[in-house]
Amino acid sequence: MAKKWGHQVKNWMTKHMELPQDVMMDLPRITMIGQIHIYIENHRGLLAFSDKEVRLLLKQGQLLVKGKAFVIKTILPEEIMLEGKIDQVIYVND
Amino acid sequence: MRNQWIYYYTGVVTAKASGQGLERFINNLTRSGIKIWDLKKHGEETLTFKISLAEIKRLRPIVRKSGCKVEFLRRTGFPFILKRILKNSGFFVGALIFAAVIFVLSNMVWGIEINGADPETEHKIRKELDKIGVQTGKLQFFLADPEGIQRAITDNLEEITWVGVELQGTTYHLQVVEKTIPEQPEKLGPQNLIATKKAVIVDMFVEEGQPVVDINDYVKPGQLLVSGSIGKEGKTKSVSAKGEVFGETWYKSEVSISLKTNFKVFTGNEKRKHYLKLGSFSLPIWGFGKTEFKTYETEKEEKTFRFLKWELPISYIEETHRESEKVMRTYSENEAIEVAKEMARQDIKNDIPEDATIKGEKVLRQTTQNGKVYLLIHFQVIENIAKSYPIIQGVSE
Repeated sequence: MAKKWGHQVKNWMTKHMELPQDVMMDLPRITMIGQIHIYIENHRGLLAFSDKEVRLLLKQGQLLVKGKAFVIKTILPEEIMLEGKIDQVIYVND
Repeated sequence: MRNQWIYYYTGVVTAKASGQGLERFINNLTRSGIKIWDLKKHGEETLTFKISLAEIKRLRPIVRKSGCKVEFLRRTGFPFILKRILKNSGFFVGALIFAAVIFVLSNMVWGIEINGADPETEHKIRKELDKIGVQTGKLQFFLADPEGIQRAITDNLEEITWVGVELQGTTYHLQVVEKTIPEQPEKLGPQNLIATKKAVIVDMFVEEGQPVVDINDYVKPGQLLVSGSIGKEGKTKSVSAKGEVFGETWYKSEVSISLKTNFKVFTGNEKRKHYLKLGSFSLPIWGFGKTEFKTYETEKEEKTFRFLKWELPISYIEETHRESEKVMRTYSENEAIEVAKEMARQDIKNDIPEDATIKGEKVLRQTTQNGKVYLLIHFQVIENIAKSYPIIQGVSE
């Protein structure tokens, strides 16, 4: 109950105080440059990595990036920069 | 994105990880703050990535925990280049030695060329050069400069009038002008002996010819001394008159000498300073500190290094500071007269032929004025006054 209450407060604050949602709600911020680069902030870890697929853990659910010839240019605890040819970005909610 | 080229200076290692749970391994790495980049998956269970050399140490415990196997594939960056340079240092040392050898050889004497001398004189010059150390194979650095060589040769060899020494690269060129002693032409033609200057005859030695003057005769320049025509009246024949006629001649010499003279003399104390000159900057290498002499003269000797045909802007300078001192010389009047007489004698000796002798001297006038002694001295000199003079044929007397 308390958790839900807190969530609602945050939601309300972002709506009415014009704070960026990714900061307030721990949502991933995804920047893409065409098909070649994808930059994801606020992830929670790498789940799977191959040259065709990258699966990232988020605070809620997972993010699945599909494509070809993936190379992780940089990886930091909460940031990742992926290079390759990106075909799909899929949110996976259980 | 981080400036990954910075890692080039600290060294970058490309690593290969293989095994199960690679993703967990990557997460562990990132969470412990190890920077990795350029991750690539090769097949199912292999991964290549790049890591900074400095963080390899921290990688080890995480690898051990994960159960993956990590190999290092490629090492790039500055530390590894340095390592390779050290490994190949022989090459660089060789290049350095090569340059050093060329440098030494460029500063060596490789040849001595002597022009304008006949073989005998050339041999003498070579011997003289050997004496002062100028030989092929010697380092120019330790030799005298061309002017010094020139001086040494002209001073020590009588056969040459002048020698020009020039250093062209590694070769000394010597241009020699030999003294040509003119051969005394055999005077076979009929000739008389005549007087060269006014004199009183004191001695005669006639080899051939008819003397026309006697001892104690006073002769004027151009006067006939020994005639080349001999024989009785009407039956004369012309011969080449030969002989020596000694006459007493007179010279006057005027000298003046100061009673007090200031001289600058060296005390013998000296201080040497050595510099290495690079461009316009002089780097002292030996002989530090200020020269303590009150008055001194500075002598500077500069030696330039060369490389192949170029002169390097590096030179070696040796500076000698010689202490000088002012000395006042004082003569008493009698001393001054003695010295003045000696000076006058030297003066006369320069004027008279070598075989002449000074018979007597007489002070004509002596004055002391303004701290100076003036002397007028009269010299009596015995010298050969005879000179051959050809008899022109066809002119009857």
